[in-house]
Amino acid sequence: MRSRNAFLWLLNKEWRELLASRAWWLLVLLMGPLTGVGFIGAMQSYAEVSGFNGTSAGVGEALSPLIGVWGPMFSACELGAVFLLPFAAIRMVGADRQSGALRLELQGGVSPGLRILAKALLALAGWMFAMLPAGIGILLWSLYGGALDGRELASVIGGHVLNAGLTIALGFSAAAVTEHPSTAAIATLGITVGTWILNFLAALQGGVWERVAAYTPAVVVSDFSHGLIQLRTVLVEVLLILAGLGVAAIWQRLGVGVRRRGMESAMLLAGVSAMVFACSFVRATWDVSENRGNSFPAADERALRGLEAPLTIVVHLAAEDPRRADLERNALSKLRRVVPRLEVRYVSSTGIGMFEQTREGYGEIQYSIGGRTSTSRMTTAEGVLESIYTLGGVTVPADVRETVFRGHPLAVPPRGAPAIFYGVWPGAILVLAIVVRRRNRG
Amino acid sequence: MPLLRVNGLSKKFGKIAALTDVGLEIREGEILGLIGPNGAGKSTLFECLAGVLPFDSGAILSGGVATNEVLFYMPDGIAPWPDQSVSWMLDFVIGYFGGRSAMRDEVIRQFDLSGFLRQRIGTLSKGQRKRALIAAGLLAPQSVLLIDEPLDGLDLRQMRDIAAALRWHADQGRTLFLSIHQISDAARFCDRFVLLSGGRIRGEGTIPQLAELAGNAAERNLEEVFLALT
Repeated sequence: MRSRNAFLWLLNKEWRELLASRAWWLLVLLMGPLTGVGFIGAMQSYAEVSGFNGTSAGVGEALSPLIGVWGPMFSACELGAVFLLPFAAIRMVGADRQSGALRLELQGGVSPGLRILAKALLALAGWMFAMLPAGIGILLWSLYGGALDGRELASVIGGHVLNAGLTIALGFSAAAVTEHPSTAAIATLGITVGTWILNFLAALQGGVWERVAAYTPAVVVSDFSHGLIQLRTVLVEVLLILAGLGVAAIWQRLGVGVRRRGMESAMLLAGVSAMVFACSFVRATWDVSENRGNSFPAADERALRGLEAPLTIVVHLAAEDPRRADLERNALSKLRRVVPRLEVRYVSSTGIGMFEQTREGYGEIQYSIGGRTSTSRMTTAEGVLESIYTLGGVTVPADVRETVFRGHPLAVPPRGAPAIFYGVWPGAILVLAIVVRRRNRG
Repeated sequence: MPLLRVNGLSKKFGKIAALTDVGLEIREGEILGLIGPNGAGKSTLFECLAGVLPFDSGAILSGGVATNEVLFYMPDGIAPWPDQSVSWMLDFVIGYFGGRSAMRDEVIRQFDLSGFLRQRIGTLSKGQRKRALIAAGLLAPQSVLLIDEPLDGLDLRQMRDIAAALRWHADQGRTLFLSIHQISDAARFCDRFVLLSGGRIRGEGTIPQLAELAGNAAERNLEEVFLALT
């Protein structure tokens, strides 16, 4: 009972501290214009492609709100999570240490883990509030007559919430480990830049870099934004979030020696690393995009699932060769989701491939199933499937007419959106911040 | 019967010994003064006792109960929850620590807080903040209250009022352990003294006991006794 009361008081304190935080109000205020830029730009392009103002409307089947509107609009959340949220998160932990509140609260008998949990819950709630402009975008789209797909939206929002969770955990742990919030900010940004370098290396080198980079925030958000939910990604991200919060809790215990805290952190990270490795073998994935943009047609997927012998694909393309990106996006990423035993190997002598063009075999894609091999240079989904079906002796699925995605054209300009995102939202947040901060002191 | 006993407590910062083999006892209902010059290790000792700073060796014995259930420590020079009001802080101490709600109005009166109850802690003057924090400490449920430099930043009148208030709480059964670097201030209202210098305990007891330890049983001036023992 006592500890429950203490936890509720912690939540009350964190809530009041969040409302008192200028960093958080600034984050909320800026999210309006940032989201507006993405939404308005995307709506204008979408309207034009849909035939607004006499422009051609010949590509209606390609129009997916997921890619055309939600992706650009929610990119504001990605920006916010990288450049704004870390500072609000660092403040939540660092300010207690700076002000001396931590030394008092630690004497209260509430475990550091619960203290960090209370902060994490409030930080996440604060982030959800900061995402409200995206909710306004969805409402406007709906009012304009746009089609909504709940599963797609849930995927995009889920990706950004996971990303925010990761940012919060990183900010918390950096603030807890370092002595000063500015050091924590540098450490957090350093790690963020590190993930960008990792993505760059993955694009250049492929291989193990590519596998590790699959869990960086940018890639995770991109997958979710395309409607692709991979269970292993969710598990790994949740583990990383728990690890970050765990490290933060360990370093909150000022009464425990630095060496012991370091050892405990190392043990926690080693344990989490082992679990992350185990999770990387989990294969369950879901394509929740309405246009099934991450999947082969269902008939092809059934045929591919029936492949009994292991399928090996050796790709002689350099990491920066655009054909490799096409092959990966059009075929290999989809194959990985359905073929039970698949091994893909990239072979190249250079990163860019420019000077390998004259090498015999460069550009070839070799397929092997049950001792039989074939070679092709096609990087389209159809070309890859044809090679596999021929080699594996699979009967080509009949051209079953599935529900075809016809697109959701919407030739409507974003009327009223600039006023809402650039005027009403910042104004309302400014007034709310002043009123709430005044009441908070009462 | 001591509420809390400290045996052989030592703490080093790198190669610098901040506390060496510190031993003392805190008795129920007393005002115990921790006397020592700046840099003697008073704050370090309090932080080690409160469990917010690790110590290298030694033991804190509190009758089989967790130390943080017996004592509460109010550090010097802090401005916790700077965006919150004094009134909220008092409520928070009562709610979060399971503190003494019945005493809320009394400490507000004793420490003359009513004039700035709704003011943000971060905007208080040094003296106001000190009074508010001591009041908050007195609301904590633990039976022993450690206050680091309770008289620092106060004018003469405030000092006398606070000394009287602390005496009242001690008379109500509260045990107070106060770190004070001005020996003359400590001599006025502490029952017993722990003399700390260079991280070592130089003596513990009442003024007559310390004077005897210093080899001058007739001496009643704590400053002279301190100088003789350190």
